[in-house]
Amino acid sequence: MSRESPSGAVRVRHSQEIESLLSDLGSRLQRGTGIREQPGRLPIGRPDVDRLLGGGFPLGGLSEISGASSSGRTSLSLALLANTTGRGELAGWVDTADAFDPPSAERLGVDLDRVLWVRAGTGPGRSAERALRATERLLQTEGFPLVLLDWTGNLPSPKVASWIRLARLTAATRSVLLLLSSERLAGSHAEMAVMMEPARARFTGTPALLEELEARMLLVRNRTAPIDPTASFDIRLSGVRPRRLSQPRPCRTSRESAA
Amino acid sequence: MSQPHRLACLLVPDLPLRAELRAHPELADVSFVVAAGSDARAEVIEASPAAYLAGVRAGGSVTHARAVSSDVRVQVMSLALERASRQALLDVALSFSPRAVLADRSYSAFSSEAAVLLDASGMKQLYESERHFASALAARSKALGLPGVVAIASSRTLARIAARRCANQADPLCIVPAGAESSFLAPLPIDLLDPDDKLAQQLTRFGVHFVRDLLRLPRRALAGRMGPDVLQLVAMARGETVEPPLPTPADSRLEEAIDLDYPADRSEPLLFVLRGLLSRLMERLELRHLASGPLDLRLDLEGGGRDVRQVGVVGATRDTRVLLRLLALTLETHPPGAPVEAVSVATEGLPERRDQLDLFRPRGPDPDSLDRTLTELESLCGSGRVGAPEVADDHRPDAFGLKPFEPHRVPRTPDLPASTETTALVVRALRPPVAAEVRVNRGLPIQVRSAVSSGDVIHVSGPWRTTGRWWSDTDRYALDHFDVQVSDGTVSRLCFDWQERRWRVDGLYD
Repeated sequence: MSRESPSGAVRVRHSQEIESLLSDLGSRLQRGTGIREQPGRLPIGRPDVDRLLGGGFPLGGLSEISGASSSGRTSLSLALLANTTGRGELAGWVDTADAFDPPSAERLGVDLDRVLWVRAGTGPGRSAERALRATERLLQTEGFPLVLLDWTGNLPSPKVASWIRLARLTAATRSVLLLLSSERLAGSHAEMAVMMEPARARFTGTPALLEELEARMLLVRNRTAPIDPTASFDIRLSGVRPRRLSQPRPCRTSRESAA
Repeated sequence: MSQPHRLACLLVPDLPLRAELRAHPELADVSFVVAAGSDARAEVIEASPAAYLAGVRAGGSVTHARAVSSDVRVQVMSLALERASRQALLDVALSFSPRAVLADRSYSAFSSEAAVLLDASGMKQLYESERHFASALAARSKALGLPGVVAIASSRTLARIAARRCANQADPLCIVPAGAESSFLAPLPIDLLDPDDKLAQQLTRFGVHFVRDLLRLPRRALAGRMGPDVLQLVAMARGETVEPPLPTPADSRLEEAIDLDYPADRSEPLLFVLRGLLSRLMERLELRHLASGPLDLRLDLEGGGRDVRQVGVVGATRDTRVLLRLLALTLETHPPGAPVEAVSVATEGLPERRDQLDLFRPRGPDPDSLDRTLTELESLCGSGRVGAPEVADDHRPDAFGLKPFEPHRVPRTPDLPASTETTALVVRALRPPVAAEVRVNRGLPIQVRSAVSSGDVIHVSGPWRTTGRWWSDTDRYALDHFDVQVSDGTVSRLCFDWQERRWRVDGLYD
C-alpha cells in the first residue's frame, strides 16, 4: 500500500481548486492559448470616459460611436480628435455629411492644422463609395493614428464586406478607425462600440441660455474585455453660446429694406 | 589658366526607328519597317535590324519591302514619338551639363538623325578622360532606349561631323583632340558636311569628294562658280564657323505623346498606353532630378475633336502607379466623348521634395506618401474638398475655410492639454441649411417642422442677432438665431434669414 506524501496531497488539492475555478469562469477564460498582447489605446482625455473604455479606443481596430441627433456623439468624437492632435499626431476626418464645424472643433481644442478633412459627402457621384475609398487610402497611409468616418448623413448602409475590409485594413495598422453613425453599422466587425442616448438639455437663466446637454453613454461591445450590459455613464456636455453675442442688432432701416 | 572649350555631340543616326522601339520595346526582335505613310506606296524610312537582315532597305516603298520579306511589319512614322525622343535626348544631355541644346534638324541626307550638343569643358575633372565621359553619355542614352554615338571636339560643327563619322564605324566614340581639327577633317568625305542637294551635285561635278579637295580650291573662285552657299561649307571645313554659346534651357516642361494604331474606345487600352507614356516621362524626370507636377492630358479624338484636361498633383512625385491611378480616375469620372486617336501627357518638372524630420514631434506620414494620398483624395473628391479646416475670418455663421494640409510645416505642438472632466458641446453644421416651417408666438418659435427636427418647442434661447455686409446689395445678411429643444429630443440651431424671410435649421447641437 502506497502512502501519499503531505506535499503531494496539497498539490492535488490545489489542482482540484484550479479546476473548479476554471469551470466557474467558463467561457470567460481561454485555455491553452499564449498570452495575448493588449493592444495600445487611444484615449479621449477625459479620465471618467477613458476608464469606461478601458483606456481608450483600441489601436489597430474599428470602433464605433452611434447615437441619435443631439446625443453628444460628435462632441465625444471631437474630444478624441482634440486629444490626438494635442499630442502632435495627425488625424483624418472623412465627412459624408459635410457636417464638420471648424469653429466648434477649435473651441474644443482641436489643432485644426493636424486634421485632414475629406469632404467626401459633397460633389457629384456616389459619395458613399468615395468615402469608403478615402478611408481606405488614409488607413494605408501610415502616420494617421486616428481616422474618423462620419457616416451620419443620409447615406445607405454599406455592404458588410466593406466593414470587413476596413476592419482588416485597420488591423494591419497602428490606427483607430472610428465610425460615427446614427445607428450601429459595423456589428461584430467593431472592436468596441459605444452608444449614446440623449437625456436632456438644460436651459437656464434669463434670458434663457443653453447651459448643458446631458447624454447617456453605453459601452455595448468590447472585444478585448467583458462588459456589463447594464452599466451606463452619464456625460455632461457644457453648452456653448453663439460666438457673436456682441454683434450689433440689425438697424430698423435695414430690416425694413430686407423685408 | 583657362580650360580649352570642348563640346560633345550625342547623335542618334536612326531616330524614327529608335523612337518606335522606345515606345514599343516588344518590337526589338521583330522584322519591321518605319514608313512615311500607311498606304502601299509610302516610302520606307528605316528598317529594323531583323528586316535589314531579311533584305529590306530604306528608300523603297512598302510594297517593295513586302515583296522582299512577306512577314515584315509596317509602323507608320510618328512625329509625336520623334519629338518626344528628341526631347529625351536633350534630357540625357542636361543630366550631365546645364548647357545643352538640340542641334538643328537636317533636311538632306541626315534627316533621320537627332543630335544634341552639350558643354563638355572641364569634364576631365569628373571623369578619368574625355573618352570615359563620352562612354558614360552614350551608356545613359542607351539606357533610355536611344543608343547613339558620341563625339567630343572643340566646336559644335566639328563635334557633329565627328559624330556622323562615328555612326558608320564600329567604335561609337570619337574624340578630336584640340589642335588636331584640320588633320581630322581633311580625309573625311565632303558629304559629312551636309551640303544641300544642289551644292552636293556641283561639288561632285567638280570632283570634290573629300574635305581636303575643297580646302585646296581658291575660296573666291569657288564662290563665283557655286554661289555664296559654298563659303559656309568652306568655313566649316576650316573650323571658322561662328557659333553662339550654348544656352541653359529654362523650360522644364516635358511631354510624351503617341499616335495610336487604332482608335481606342475603351479605358483599358488607353490606360495601357498611358502607362507607357508615364513610364517614359518619369525616366526623363529622373534624369533631371525632377518630379512631376500637375499632368496635362490631351486626347485627340476621332472626328477631329480634342479633349484637354489637367490632373492635379498635390506634391511633386515620380510614382508612375499613383499618377496612372489619377489618370484612370479622371477617365473614369469623365470618359472621352469619342474614340481616342492620339494621346499626349505633359508635365512641369518640379524640384524633388526634401523634408527634415523633427526629434520632438511624432513621425507622421512620409512626405511623399502623404503627397500621394492627398493627390488621390483630391482626385477622388474633387478640388477644394480635401485639406486642413480653418476658422474663417468672417462673421457669417456658415463661414469656414479649407487650406492645404501641410502638417510638416506646423510648428511643434505645445504640451498635451491636461485632462478635463467636461467636454464642450459642439455643433454639427448642416450644409446646405435645411428649410423649416416654424410657428411663432410673440417673436419666439413654438413649433418646428423640418427634415432634421420636428415637434413642439420645449425650450428656446435667443434670438441672437447677426448682421453684416450691409453695404453690399448681394452679400448683406441679417440673421436671428435661436437655440431650440424640440419635443423629438433634438437641440438645434434655428435661424430666421431676414433677407429671404425664411426659417431654416443650420446646425444641430450634438
